Amino acid sequence: MGNMSSNPYVPFPSKIREIIRHTEKEYTFRMSFTGDVKPGQFFEVSVPRYGEAPISVSGIGEDFVDLTIRKVGRVTNEVFEKGEGRTLLLRGPYGNGFDTSLYEDGEVIVIAGGTGVSPVRGVIDALAGTSAPKDKHVIVGFRSPSDMLFRDDLKRWDEALDLILTVDGAPEGYEGRIGLVTKYIPEVEIRDVANAKAVVVGPPPMMRFSVKDLLAKGFREENIWISQERKMCCGLGKCGHCRIGETYVCLDGPVFNYSESKNMLD
Amino acid sequence: MGYVLSRDSFTRVLKKIGQSRRIYAPVNKVGEGRFTDVDVVRYDFVTEAPEIELDKKSDYAFKEILTPLSQTLFFFTEDEVKEADMDEREVIIFLRSCDLHAVKRLDAIYLENKFVDPFYKRIRDKVRFALIGCGRSYEDCFCVSMGTNRADGGYLFSVDMIGGKYYFDVKDDELAAIFASEAESEQAVEARYVTENEVKVTIPGNVPVSVYKDPLWEEYTVRCINCGRCNFVCPTCTCFTMQDIFYTDNGRVGERRRVGASCMVDGYTNVAGGGQYRRTNGERMRFKVLHKIHDFRKRFGFDMCVGCGRCDMVCPEYISYANIINKVNDAVEGGAVNG
Amino acid sequence: MARDINTKKLKKNAFRYSKVRGETASRIRIPGGVINAKSMARIAEVAEKYGNGTIFVTNRQGVELPGIALEDMDAVNSMIQSIIDDSGVNQEERDKGYPASGTRNVVACPGSRLCPFGCYDTTELARKMDKMIFPSHLHVKIAFTGCSNDCAKVRMDDFGFIGMTEPQYDPNRCVSCEQCIKYCSIRSVGALSLVNGKVVRDTAKCIGCGVCVAYCPTRAWTRSKEHYFRVVIMGRTGKKNPRLAEDFIKWADEESIFKMVRNAYAYVEEYIDPNALEGKEHIGYIVDRTGFDEFCKWVLKDVNLNEKAEVASRVYWGGRHYDRSNDLM
Repeated sequence: MGNMSSNPYVPFPSKIREIIRHTEKEYTFRMSFTGDVKPGQFFEVSVPRYGEAPISVSGIGEDFVDLTIRKVGRVTNEVFEKGEGRTLLLRGPYGNGFDTSLYEDGEVIVIAGGTGVSPVRGVIDALAGTSAPKDKHVIVGFRSPSDMLFRDDLKRWDEALDLILTVDGAPEGYEGRIGLVTKYIPEVEIRDVANAKAVVVGPPPMMRFSVKDLLAKGFREENIWISQERKMCCGLGKCGHCRIGETYVCLDGPVFNYSESKNMLD
Repeated sequence: MGYVLSRDSFTRVLKKIGQSRRIYAPVNKVGEGRFTDVDVVRYDFVTEAPEIELDKKSDYAFKEILTPLSQTLFFFTEDEVKEADMDEREVIIFLRSCDLHAVKRLDAIYLENKFVDPFYKRIRDKVRFALIGCGRSYEDCFCVSMGTNRADGGYLFSVDMIGGKYYFDVKDDELAAIFASEAESEQAVEARYVTENEVKVTIPGNVPVSVYKDPLWEEYTVRCINCGRCNFVCPTCTCFTMQDIFYTDNGRVGERRRVGASCMVDGYTNVAGGGQYRRTNGERMRFKVLHKIHDFRKRFGFDMCVGCGRCDMVCPEYISYANIINKVNDAVEGGAVNG
Repeated sequence: MARDINTKKLKKNAFRYSKVRGETASRIRIPGGVINAKSMARIAEVAEKYGNGTIFVTNRQGVELPGIALEDMDAVNSMIQSIIDDSGVNQEERDKGYPASGTRNVVACPGSRLCPFGCYDTTELARKMDKMIFPSHLHVKIAFTGCSNDCAKVRMDDFGFIGMTEPQYDPNRCVSCEQCIKYCSIRSVGALSLVNGKVVRDTAKCIGCGVCVAYCPTRAWTRSKEHYFRVVIMGRTGKKNPRLAEDFIKWADEESIFKMVRNAYAYVEEYIDPNALEGKEHIGYIVDRTGFDEFCKWVLKDVNLNEKAEVASRVYWGGRHYDRSNDLM
């Protein structure tokens, strides 16, 4: 299935093949899709008469894409009303996405928080499949144990590579790690920090502090990538909402090398 | 070819031209301004010469036909998405030189920037221009500083009204025949243009990051009321917001439209879940101003602002954007001097 | 020479009875409160020459020149002739001053000549009204205000005219910025809401203040070509029963309000208490006596209100009734 219209605003129907419920408010919708798509790219998901919402690709298969959606507004509320077998309208994929080949060799650290895990899920999977997975470090943080997404993947990643899973806070008796992702950056042992690469995705303050700590640790700016979240109405470089300076996040991003993004001031 | 026409004969020309085309021109709308008994000049379709406001500068720009304030893109029925129809007739837009230069800015966003916008293109393809000569510089104009005071072609004909007579420089052969049939006389005509404005700006070169953080913007956090008028009147502002609705009488049917958006107005950067990227009006002012005189140029190679001065004219708080440009330039130059 | 002054005539000639024996004050009528600077200078001259050099600015937008000797009234009358000419106030005989003082100066806020919220030219209508009703010895107070803010405090008058505009909405120009909704809610009554991305005006709730028009950045909201008025009646201060004027008609047109005021004078002539002290009885007390229905019958006679106009079927006034009780709550 692809975009049959020459008009890029015309969405195409896509069937909901499966719904994976992570939390009450966060589901992954496995949507029928064939075509080129990369982790970090996004689709405009729409429910006619309710609107469109930009959603990151959280998983890619031969004939599907996973869209992990948080129920936070008019459109996503309506998406959550749809069951398996129903149809959503999609446009995309849009944006540049992650070039996972950049992270095949050498030491890599991925730091992701909350729904920020979605766009890097494919990146982490790619890291897990490399020849030296123990050089691949992943710090994943959620607000609380009940906010955790991708539980099956977390188990898999824990076995395949160096995973640090943490929560900001937890009820008494929780045995896992507690604390912000930045608390665990010092625990990651990097042998060759000048050549190590980092991917950071999450809420803006989390990205800001993580990058700061990575730079302090000796990471080079050009070896850090982040993904920006902005309001995106069109995904086509027209509506203007996502622009930062000369950059359109929907066209030039949302993934940016930190050496570029550090100069992007809102 | 140059022609001189009376008002009535100009109307007859418009009627002939208008048989197959729509004519879109500045119109003085009596009493439709903000305040009681205040007029506003904005664009509308016309059929007769006296309807066209050639004396005043329009308060709102011509862009509303190319990028409507509210435009239905699709109709949704239960299982169908249907593109909204459009009027297929050609349109002639009467505009001044600054605005003709603005078209290039609109095109850059909507016909370039990676994707072609089909809703823009389908109307843009039908649009031709008629240049309104400028016999004088208006309040707040700074076209000369922006290099937009003169139009080098790109229009079918120009019009200047001098002493109750209309002077046309007709570039299009088909139209020339129509003008010739109504002309009082043929003579060499050149569209008037201004060579000096009272308001002058100096566009800074590269704007360093330090200027983004300069305290000059803070003043506008207090002065600006984020009403967005500056954006809505601007001939080069293009932002929009998508909007889906279902009809109240039949909830299964609805439409998707886009409506004009302003980077000054609340909600412009809001993302689902409550995030917002530019909260203060000072930040929003910086974002807007630097787009017009810096950021756009870095992407497309020329400045976005055309110096029409409408934003200054419409601002209810007497904020002068032109003055901000000069303040930015001073900050850039000052910064360079101070290292 | 013996001082023999007819105080009845003095008052009707727009001079004030002063507590200072032998003195009076000249009352200058300024319909709508707007006067030429030249006339203002003349007023100052009169105050300097015949008065005590001070000018009292009245609550009803006139001025009074105190400290004038009773003997100088004629001289003052001839000196203020140019002011009367300038302000266009009706006169019966030149150089004889004002022919009446019963019908009070017609008050107006700055209105649409100056104020962003003014819905009509209050100054012009005040002058036009003064032309119609003056001179008259009947004690009637009329005021014009440009919008529902009522800066002219027309609710203290017998007839108050509050400007209204009927907001015109073009959904094709609306971008759902919601500023009209926000400002209607903050500055006015909250009559607007967003439905399907477009603004819906609760026409029953809308007071026609025009705030939506003033704040609309795209001209989706504009003013109606017609100017409308909310007519409020029978407000007053005073010792017996001070009270605010209450709504009589909304969305009235200009022609009708002038006709109603003319009718009201006929009504007062008919029903005024013939034994009233100094022939002076406030119209409000007459309405209290005849009943609202009789008032309506007279006032609405031959008035063709426009189809938008709504007339109150009953009007109830509040205020304190000191003639019944002076007790505090």
